[in-house]
Amino acid sequence: MNTPLSSTFFSAPPEWGWLIVLYFFVGGLAGGSYFLAVLIDFFGRPEDRPLARLGYYIAFPCIVLSGLLLTLDLTRPERFWHMLFDAHSFRLMFKPWSPMSIGSWALLVFGLFSLIGFLSALAEADRLKWPAARSLRPPGIIGAIVSVIGGLLGFFVAGYTGVLLAVTNRPIWSDTPLLGMLFVVSAASISASLMLLFAEKSRWTMPGVRALHRMDAWVVALEFIVLIAVMISLGPVFRAWLSAWGLLLFFGVIVVGMLIPLALFWRREWLGALNATAAAVLILVGGFILRLVIVFSAQGV
Amino acid sequence: MAAQPEPMGFYTDTTVCIGCKACEVACKEWNQLPSTNGGKNTLSGDSYDNTRALDGIHWRHVKFVEQFTDDRKDGRWLLMSDVCKHCVHAACLEVCPTNAIIRTEFDTVVIQSDTCNGCRDCISACPFGVIEINPVSGTAQKCTLCYDRLQAGKEPACSQACPTQSIQFGTIRDLRDRAQKRVDQLKQMGEQRAYLYGADDKMLGGLNSFYLLVDKPEVYGLPPDPQMPSRNLKAGSWLSALGAIAVGLMGVISFRNRGAGAGEDRP
Amino acid sequence: MADSDCIVVMGSNMAENHPVAFRWPMKAKVEHGAKIIHVDPRFTRTSAVADIYAPVRAGSDIAFLGGVINYVLNSEKWNKEPFFKTFVANYTNAATIINEDFKDTEDLNGVFSGLAPAKGGVPEWPFNGATNQYDGATWQYARTKVGAQGQGAAATAQSGETKVSSGPDGTKAPATPAAAPAPAAAKAPIGPPFDALVASAVRPPVLKDETLQNPHCVFQIVKRHFSRYTPEVVEKTTGCPKETFLKVAEAILANSGADRTTSFAYAVAWTQHTYGVQIIGACALLQLLLGNIGRPGAGVMALRGHASIQGSTDIPTLYHSIQGYLAAPTALKKHDTLQDYIAAEIIPTGYWANMPKFMVSYLKSVYGDAATKENQFGYDWHPKILGDHSHMAMFAAMNAGKVKGMFCVGQNPATSVNAKMERSGLRKLEWLVVKDNWITETATFWKNAPEVKNGQVKTADIKTEVFFLPATQVAEVDGTFTNTQRMLQFHHKAAEAPGDCRSDTWFSYELGKRLKKLYANSTAPRDEGWKNLVWDYEHEDEAERKKGEPSALKILKEINGFFTEDPARHCVGFGELKDDGSTTCASWIYSGVYPGVGKLLADRRTPDPPGQPGAQLQWGWAWPANRRVMYNRCSADPEGKPWSEKKKWVWWDAEAKKWAGYDVPDYIAVKPPTDKAKPGAAGMDALPGTAPFIMRPDGLGWLFVPAGLVDGPLPTHYEPVESPVPNPLYKQQTSPVYKHWKDDGNKLATMGDPAFPYVITTYRLTEHYLAGGMSRWLPWLNELQPELFIEISPELAQEKGIKNLDWCKITSPRTEIRAKALVTKRMRPFKIDGKVIHQVGMPWHWGYEGLSTGDVVNELTSLIADPNVSMHEGKAFVCNVQKA
Ligand SMILES: Nc1nc2c(c(=O)[nH]1)N[C@H]1C(S)=C(S)[C@@H](COP(=O)(O)OP(=O)(O)OC[C@H]3O[C@@H](n4cnc5c(=O)[nH]c(N)nc54)[C@H](O)[C@@H]3O)O[C@H]1N2
Ligand SMILES: Nc1nc2c(c(=O)[nH]1)N[C@H]1C(S)=C(S)[C@@H](COP(=O)(O)OP(=O)(O)OC[C@H]3O[C@@H](n4cnc5c(=O)[nH]c(N)nc54)[C@H](O)[C@@H]3O)O[C@H]1N2
Ligand code: SF4
Ligand code: SF4
Ligand code: SF4
Ligand code: SF4
Ligand code: SF4
Ligand SMILES: [Mo]
Repeated sequence: MNTPLSSTFFSAPPEWGWLIVLYFFVGGLAGGSYFLAVLIDFFGRPEDRPLARLGYYIAFPCIVLSGLLLTLDLTRPERFWHMLFDAHSFRLMFKPWSPMSIGSWALLVFGLFSLIGFLSALAEADRLKWPAARSLRPPGIIGAIVSVIGGLLGFFVAGYTGVLLAVTNRPIWSDTPLLGMLFVVSAASISASLMLLFAEKSRWTMPGVRALHRMDAWVVALEFIVLIAVMISLGPVFRAWLSAWGLLLFFGVIVVGMLIPLALFWRREWLGALNATAAAVLILVGGFILRLVIVFSAQGV
Repeated sequence: MAAQPEPMGFYTDTTVCIGCKACEVACKEWNQLPSTNGGKNTLSGDSYDNTRALDGIHWRHVKFVEQFTDDRKDGRWLLMSDVCKHCVHAACLEVCPTNAIIRTEFDTVVIQSDTCNGCRDCISACPFGVIEINPVSGTAQKCTLCYDRLQAGKEPACSQACPTQSIQFGTIRDLRDRAQKRVDQLKQMGEQRAYLYGADDKMLGGLNSFYLLVDKPEVYGLPPDPQMPSRNLKAGSWLSALGAIAVGLMGVISFRNRGAGAGEDRP
Repeated sequence: MADSDCIVVMGSNMAENHPVAFRWPMKAKVEHGAKIIHVDPRFTRTSAVADIYAPVRAGSDIAFLGGVINYVLNSEKWNKEPFFKTFVANYTNAATIINEDFKDTEDLNGVFSGLAPAKGGVPEWPFNGATNQYDGATWQYARTKVGAQGQGAAATAQSGETKVSSGPDGTKAPATPAAAPAPAAAKAPIGPPFDALVASAVRPPVLKDETLQNPHCVFQIVKRHFSRYTPEVVEKTTGCPKETFLKVAEAILANSGADRTTSFAYAVAWTQHTYGVQIIGACALLQLLLGNIGRPGAGVMALRGHASIQGSTDIPTLYHSIQGYLAAPTALKKHDTLQDYIAAEIIPTGYWANMPKFMVSYLKSVYGDAATKENQFGYDWHPKILGDHSHMAMFAAMNAGKVKGMFCVGQNPATSVNAKMERSGLRKLEWLVVKDNWITETATFWKNAPEVKNGQVKTADIKTEVFFLPATQVAEVDGTFTNTQRMLQFHHKAAEAPGDCRSDTWFSYELGKRLKKLYANSTAPRDEGWKNLVWDYEHEDEAERKKGEPSALKILKEINGFFTEDPARHCVGFGELKDDGSTTCASWIYSGVYPGVGKLLADRRTPDPPGQPGAQLQWGWAWPANRRVMYNRCSADPEGKPWSEKKKWVWWDAEAKKWAGYDVPDYIAVKPPTDKAKPGAAGMDALPGTAPFIMRPDGLGWLFVPAGLVDGPLPTHYEPVESPVPNPLYKQQTSPVYKHWKDDGNKLATMGDPAFPYVITTYRLTEHYLAGGMSRWLPWLNELQPELFIEISPELAQEKGIKNLDWCKITSPRTEIRAKALVTKRMRPFKIDGKVIHQVGMPWHWGYEGLSTGDVVNELTSLIADPNVSMHEGKAFVCNVQKA
């Protein structure tokens, strides 16, 4: 046998499958959307508030779905609560050095925050007759505190999954410390895209939309750089991507999910009105394929 | 209070293993583990290894490595009985979010089946690929170093069944001693390739199931340099935060410098 | 074996098939660096832990061993070190002079003097399968008087197969040496006591040349015989590279001598040949030359197969011997009366002179009080054999419609050699009883056999009535196992058998009771035996008695022996047995295992204290007389002193005037080394105090075997009956006297038949057991070896376009089967006499019942056999392999 690429090649795949890919995607959307909503709440104009509300509307269902997906992925779903409480002593189960452990807590707490955001957005839009809830969003002081914490948690939820993968011994996952960063950046790009899609559909033209659009382009460019950094940091392990997965990564993520959308940002005339929509869809597709490739490729080696 | 027992474990001398798989069967019998596809397995074509790997229903696994030159002038058939290493710094235990994985009074690593919820983090964490889900219990399982037998003052089933003492059970201190003597003996008899894998603290703080090998670890399917998963924790976290900051900055800049043409706020 | 300095595993895959016994070689290896050598066509799990692996083509072992013998005889070490010469001159028949008319294979192109076409048996039993047969008259020792013949040793299969016209003069050469009646036998005095009869059988002394120079002495004959087995000839015959062969020969020689010993371990890869006994003989010859017999760490270890298969030859399921290796009375020899039997079978010099005591005590155990001096202890009631009644002969007879019914208790013939013919035999039975733990292939041959499945045979046409009786497993009964070391260990019932399962002893006991009842009122003389048979083993325990289970202890007591007048007094050993009916003992060799109520020596489990020399005498009990190393007088020099401190085992204690040692001395305790042979005397007095082999008439180890073997006095390389190559050593291709049961379903390939170009061998895997009844129902074992396969070298695979795991068709002259290919470099092509010969191999554990099923490999094998013991040639024959 030749010298192995890395000692990680002797571990076993956990068989995290479609549920997990979907969770990574949906979880990214939840965290990203919430964060964007907070960002708009703080830095946007008053006209942008619907856009921010959209973020909260996306975040909450997505985080609920995330919890569901994660629970379903357990081989003993009825024991999901063992993540939070010790099965024997019922004491709090919290292991700060285990991303899965803090991740579970983060999911729970962030779920709470996104529920708050969701409710206050509903209240603001008068869909919920509970005016007090409005104060749970900026600009009020309470709202500011809530949303800062929630926004940070959103980033955490979006990014811990990458750290979780890194804190294993699987090839690729644990051969680079950059997956968390990649997931964080990607969470922002897919969330922005999804929000833009909705905005596009509702034909919104408030300034925030264009800002979000621009931000999306920047983030996708950053994501591209981070992905290249990931590849470099893999060193010899990069050879594991000289496979069908690598092809998918190249075409599905880099070309479809990054280069074409970037080109579409730069060359607005290409598809005219459809330009922004197409770019957003492609970024979402790319973001999904990115998670797919990362989850599956490391388990097939 | 009873005195803490000494760390216990296995020393496996692969040079005397005859690949009889008595250890595999003894383990299955004691732990009442099911067989691949109810016993209707298919031929693997990979030497005499038809169970292929350690997993939730194979807590012991005998490896068969055929090494022959084309002219057959040189040839070896390396046989090795693999098992959980009961690492002193155990990756599986480190990541388990439910504390299902514990360290026992014998310094062994045990998964409590009634606690595990099947998140499978430990599977990807173990550098040796030891753990898998047992389809019967639906939980992650692996060698317990016969915790139940140890508590009853008995030897593990596998080592007891081993006819050639390839698997030796005892206190780590004693085993390391024995193993070093055997390495010296082999070297003296001309087997210069003999060495111990995981017998000292350098590898994950020491493997409480360590091996005498006569070829590179990877030949036996063992990682040459196993690491703790947490090695990536700090860097990964900081870099994620950095990513978040970058994205945040981009957001702030984008929303601060927005161009003209504000639309209507009409939700 | 733990004491060996070198261990040669040849003719066995010890690590895979005897893994628990293999702990001893491993102990020797780890504790004192013993060398392990494996000689096998395949690189196996034994080879994996061996220091030297020597590949040989299946069936070429005599060429290899002959090469080692030649190497040793010409080596400087052997010729220089006094140990070897002293051992060989004093403890073997090297000096004995052989009849001048003896012609060796050197003189007769590969056959010995005395070869003639087979005479066949009696018309009632034409199933001996014999082709040719030897008259061994010229192989005998030269004696001081003319007309003297050598003596028969243990009865062999063929020794009862040929009708002997025994003239009273005895000068007419008997068909087999064992059949030679003493000249005085006709007028023999009637016993008991039989001492006079025994004494009258004593022969004149043999001629010897202690200088070993006489061209007719055994040593010179042996030297000439093996001189053509040079390393070059070994290489071109066995395919083993010369350098590897020389490495093995050197290691064996270097580890033999006064302070080193080498042992050999073999099993059925030496026996399953048409010259299997001769392979073992070649090894014994080599070990005698090297002084590796009767000493610690020495010997030729027969690794026995089934658990307690040793027990089943001691208390035999063999047709040709009764308890303790006494010859079965036969209708073909002059065995008409007890005196005739004794006269024909006695070896008057040495310990066998006591045979009448063993025989009479045995008859007493069968017929009890009814056995009296007047009726010759019921000898007339005892059944006699008609010829070869071994497995293959019985199935040949079955195919001929000669057999009505069969009790199949713990055997699975539907998967046995030439399985198709075995099953066609079963179809001719009126009834078949299968008593097994599982519904075996034999139990379902009438519905699931391949010929039924493919429509060649219709179930409706099979008239055999099949009964199935579920058997207990070993842990569900009390009893003993006798292991490879002849050691008996008692095992206690650990669990209740489920449902209707009953022990095999229950079955025999019940059957016996019913038959006794059936014959109770018969007046036919032939039924006297049934009426007088002692049959009382009622269990002591109430619950067991209700189930009808007999008492294992009562049976063991009968085997051990007791005093007829005082049945409560057990015999303490065979030394107490008498030929006058005062003792009752079913098997003299087991006498002493149960010397008194509450003293069950087979139940002992006390190991020797660690770090001290010892023979583990307090663990179980080994026959004879708890001796652990047989013929251990060899471990002391002629004067009775240990050869070396390191290899000390048994020695003469001059002060106490008796033999002493770690082991029980295998000798007359007070016979001093200085004792001289008494000319003309019978029994042990006829042997000097230096003669270690007390069961031999001359007390010596036989390099040259004048009697007891029907296929020659010296091992000679022959090719297997089916072989792709001409015999590289002699013009004679195969053993001239192998057995073949001719039948359309049992055709053989001729030498070099291009339709069957490959050598095939069959063998076992650790993960399965025999025909699979005991393993293929177990999921835990099936997952380890899930499917039948054929092992082939990458070279052959490439030639035939076969890839790993491809389905293959394997064809022999009998039939064709399918298996998956396991392509592995552990198999290799052999270069035989310049030509590449491919060797393939198949484990034979599969069948059509069980959780894991597969073709029966024995469809490929044939009904041919070694003439001494009727063992088949499953280890080397020919086939073709194609991609399916
Ligand atoms: N696990 C397991 N153990 C068993 C059994 C079992 O079925 N399974 N069966 C038991 C029984 S009944 C018996 S008799 C013993 C048999 O024990 P073994 O004799 O050890 O068994 P085999 O596997 O038949 O043959 C041994 C080896 O002989 C090699 N061989 C074939 N032809 C030749 C030849 O011509 N010369 C030489 N030198 N080698 C040759 C084969 O490659 C094979 O490796 O095992 C007993 N033990
Ligand atoms: N080609 C080829 N053929 C061979 C050989 C070979 O090497 N190659 N080897 C030969 C050898 S060495 C042997 S020993 C034979 C073996 O051949 P068989 O004896 O015909 O085969 P087994 O499978 O051992 O059959 C024994 C049966 O006894 C049953 N049994 C087990 N325990 C008990 C019990 O306590 N009571 C009863 N009543 N039944 C019990 C088992 O379930 C099993 O079905 O095969 C021979 N055939
Ligand atoms: S070998 Fe793997 S499963 Fe065993 S203790 Fe170490 S990390 Fe855990
Ligand atoms: S699968 Fe079970 S044992 Fe493994 S990490 Fe998850 S909860 Fe712990
Ligand atoms: S120690 Fe026990 S659980 Fe572990 S492999 Fe051995 S028998 Fe199985
Ligand atoms: S029981 Fe011992 S000799 Fe047999 S495979 Fe296991 S470790 Fe090797
Ligand atoms: S099967 Fe029984 S007899 Fe054979 S090696 Fe194993 S323990 Fe010994
Ligand atoms: Mo056997």
